[in-house]
Amino acid sequence: MKELLAAKGVASSFDGTRVLDDVTLSIAQGEPVGLYGPNGSGKTTLANVLSGLILPDAGSIAFEGRDVTRLPMDARYRLGIARTFQIPHPYPVLTVHEAMRVALSAAGAGKRAGSAGSGEEIEGLLSRAGLFYQRFVPCARLSQGCLRRLEFARSLACGPRLLILDEVFSALSAADEEDLLALLRSANREGGTAFLLISHNLRLLQSACRRILYLEEGRIRRERTV
Amino acid sequence: MFRGGWLAAGIGLLLLFPLLSPDAYLLDVLTTGFLLASFAASWDVVGGVAGQVTLGHALPFGAATYACALLSRLAGWPFPLAAAAAVPVAAAAGAGVGLLAAPLSGPFVALLTLALAEAAHEVAAGHAFLSGPGGYAWGGEGGIPVALPWVDAPPFASYYAALGFLCLTTWAMLRFSRSGTGLILRAIAGSPLTAQASGVPIVRYKLLAFSVGSAFAGAAGAGFAAHVGRATAGDLSLELSFQAATAAAVGGRGTVVGPVVAALAFHALLQGLSLPPAVRVMAYASILMVTLRFFPGGVAGTVREIAARLRVREGSRRSRGRRDRVGP
Repeated sequence: MKELLAAKGVASSFDGTRVLDDVTLSIAQGEPVGLYGPNGSGKTTLANVLSGLILPDAGSIAFEGRDVTRLPMDARYRLGIARTFQIPHPYPVLTVHEAMRVALSAAGAGKRAGSAGSGEEIEGLLSRAGLFYQRFVPCARLSQGCLRRLEFARSLACGPRLLILDEVFSALSAADEEDLLALLRSANREGGTAFLLISHNLRLLQSACRRILYLEEGRIRRERTV
Repeated sequence: MFRGGWLAAGIGLLLLFPLLSPDAYLLDVLTTGFLLASFAASWDVVGGVAGQVTLGHALPFGAATYACALLSRLAGWPFPLAAAAAVPVAAAAGAGVGLLAAPLSGPFVALLTLALAEAAHEVAAGHAFLSGPGGYAWGGEGGIPVALPWVDAPPFASYYAALGFLCLTTWAMLRFSRSGTGLILRAIAGSPLTAQASGVPIVRYKLLAFSVGSAFAGAAGAGFAAHVGRATAGDLSLELSFQAATAAAVGGRGTVVGPVVAALAFHALLQGLSLPPAVRVMAYASILMVTLRFFPGGVAGTVREIAARLRVREGSRRSRGRRDRVGP
């Protein structure tokens, strides 16, 4: 399979503490990859570095052969690297529909700056995420499960080629977990979207991913094919 | 009465006011109030819609009044042309502030904008050319006079022109805040992290908010220069910046119309009290702090919240009543 994302020798530090140390990983197009590791091993920092929320101290990141190491998160989103957050940060006054309009208009920023996504596009995404009937509810009033669904829908708005999902299944009911997993599988199979799924739940990773990386003390220690 | 009805009634009353009370002083107070209300709404574009709480919004306003005065008096431009040029000057001043402020957030934006505007005010106040008192060639009262095409505008004409200007600019700012760009700015105000993760280049949009808000502030500044007839260091003062921020906070940030109503009320009230400028600044700052701390939604937001609570209480009272009638 063709390489989609290639990170080489990535390092990141906070207050003098090395959180990521010489991390090298590669994700192929459409490949479902899991990332597992204990608390404080650097999983979220790796998600932040790969998505562009923080820039690495050393190393390089290439996406579809293009160097994206210094690109910020919004530019990477428009290229097709989307992410969700471990703790969602909902817009306090925007409705679910408006939040999706923001994501869709930004996704097409090059072609139609400031324009809103079409109603059908938004409603299609919200239906897939099971949020159609909550579309006019302010984001801040959604339950945890619905917020995660919205995070999912928002990340799918750019038609991503790589999804970075940080603990997206934590604190969810079994039904919500099942629904989101089905959505993730469908994006992977039908849309050819590769993903890096970060979770503490090894059973979940084994069921959803083809390859699992084990991160410990900022280094990838093991790799296992499922 | 529906919301648009209140608005129409208010405008109707203001249209009739000069006929009911043709007092020149009152008309002058209201004319100034209309221009300052438009200025407060322009603050709301930056501080309310985009969430960039600036305490230096007088900078583009003052830049526009000085541009009007300098271009009309020194360069000899006709006043309408000078006023039209003052708007992009103000937008450029705002863009300059935005360039520095856009990478910052929260209190750092407030501190930086406050410092920049105060620096501009100090320069204008301390410079003989810009604020020369008394005997300087600009004539008598300090500041730089604007070369206006009229000598003494009748109070009625100024009043209706300012009211028309307020209605037009408020409508334009409302349109902007409800556009696709306005939606993205409200997203940035609510959660910059989620907005950036949704592909929004937040620095670019913050810069846009500063430029657009400053252009509207510049338009208000040009109107103010036309009404007052001169540009002074007071146009860059801390009081103006705090007045706009306080009106927006009390009227409801992000609503555009709320700050207009609050600014008019504040202006009329403080004119009536005849307080010295330092006390007015203290009053604005105190009201701003209390509002942001205890009533973050302003008057409009608080009224909406109370109404929602009453509806919930009424709903639960009714459902309790139904349960009691049905029995166990």
